[in-house]
Amino acid sequence: MRNRLFRELVCMVAAIGVVAATAVQPAAAAFVGTEQALAAAENATMARDDLSGWIARDDVRAQLVGLGVDPAEAAARVAALTDAELAEIGHHLDSLPAGGNVLALLGAVFVVLLVLDLVGVIDIFSRT
Amino acid sequence: MRRRGPALLLAVLLAGCAAPAPRPAGPAVELGDTPFFAQTAYRCGPAAAATVLSAASLPATPDELAPATYLPARRGTLQAELLASIRRRGGLPFVIAPDPAALQAELLAGRPVLVLQNLGLEQLPVWHYAVVIGVTPESNRVLLRSGTEPRHRMNWQRFMQTWDLAERWGLIVLRPGELPADPDPIRFLRASAALESVGLLDAAQASYAAALERWPAHPLALLGLANVAYARGDYRDAASRYRQLLAREPSNAIARNNLAETLVALGCPDAALNEIERALDLPAPAGALRAALEETRRQIVAAPREDGRHRAGCRR
Repeated sequence: MRNRLFRELVCMVAAIGVVAATAVQPAAAAFVGTEQALAAAENATMARDDLSGWIARDDVRAQLVGLGVDPAEAAARVAALTDAELAEIGHHLDSLPAGGNVLALLGAVFVVLLVLDLVGVIDIFSRT
Repeated sequence: MRRRGPALLLAVLLAGCAAPAPRPAGPAVELGDTPFFAQTAYRCGPAAAATVLSAASLPATPDELAPATYLPARRGTLQAELLASIRRRGGLPFVIAPDPAALQAELLAGRPVLVLQNLGLEQLPVWHYAVVIGVTPESNRVLLRSGTEPRHRMNWQRFMQTWDLAERWGLIVLRPGELPADPDPIRFLRASAALESVGLLDAAQASYAAALERWPAHPLALLGLANVAYARGDYRDAASRYRQLLAREPSNAIARNNLAETLVALGCPDAALNEIERALDLPAPAGALRAALEETRRQIVAAPREDGRHRAGCRR
């Protein structure tokens, strides 16, 4: 009898714990936007399926500020990104191309590129 | 022996180069009216974006676009932020199919194409944005507004090499309501849905309406118009649009889920519950879609019940 009572008590505490844990999580948005519907149509699963892919707008804003963007402007920039774009930047910022014609290269590497450019394999040092 | 070093290195690097692309097909085209903005240090992104925006009659200058696109510590511009900045200026950025035929089709339709190029090597990338304004098959050239050159003539095969290394990424700017040359509805709807996602509802609505004219009764365009109505808080219009779509596609779980959400907003939880139960009974929903349906059901159950005053308005 006491054993059963104990079991019920444990169950109740566990149940409360589960409810409390779910309550603090951000509620899954129930409305499905067209962007998610397209992702669902293409992949048979929705983009939001991957919870690890979820990223906060604030995190990306902080990343942009860390790279020298004005804080007020960073907020506006982040607001203009879709969820998919936000996730792409949030997770892969370091490996994403940043078009700027940058030659952050030194010494031997520079020489190799210069040679390749002169023999016409690549086209960095534009000539008219 | 020592002299072979550089030659060997060159041979290895050259071996990495794929077979040359075939010569371009189709007629010659040059969009000579395309404006030109010379880039300043590292700011090829804003310069290229200003070029394609201005060509679409949405005036912009690189200086205006730089604060929205330039990343100082990376000395460059991300693709996603180029797209976002074009949306903020009232345009619809449309990422073209990764295919030279798609690029040429847009040029022939009068639209210059902003492209990402890797001017370096796969392992030593030098990322650059430029705008393709023409192709001249007889001389095997691509014409670009690039960097500080208003009319950069580039060998076609060399251009394709730099474009291949950037996964052939390119975009055009459409005015909302304008359609691309591309016949793929999904590609266009994806671009339109991005406008909806960031709350540019007028532009999204114009694009969905244009999509419906070109691809009549396309379910994702109908869903888009209904979702825009919902986002505006125009719930009666949204409900009637979801029902219109469901009359064609009774098994569309997303439309039924959003209709249920709309009915809750209209103060009709009983009708909403009916719709969401029907959606949950469908065989297909799985994963996050099922989670969304179940979340909707939870919200409906938690919503205040209909009183007599409401009930009459809830009947269709």
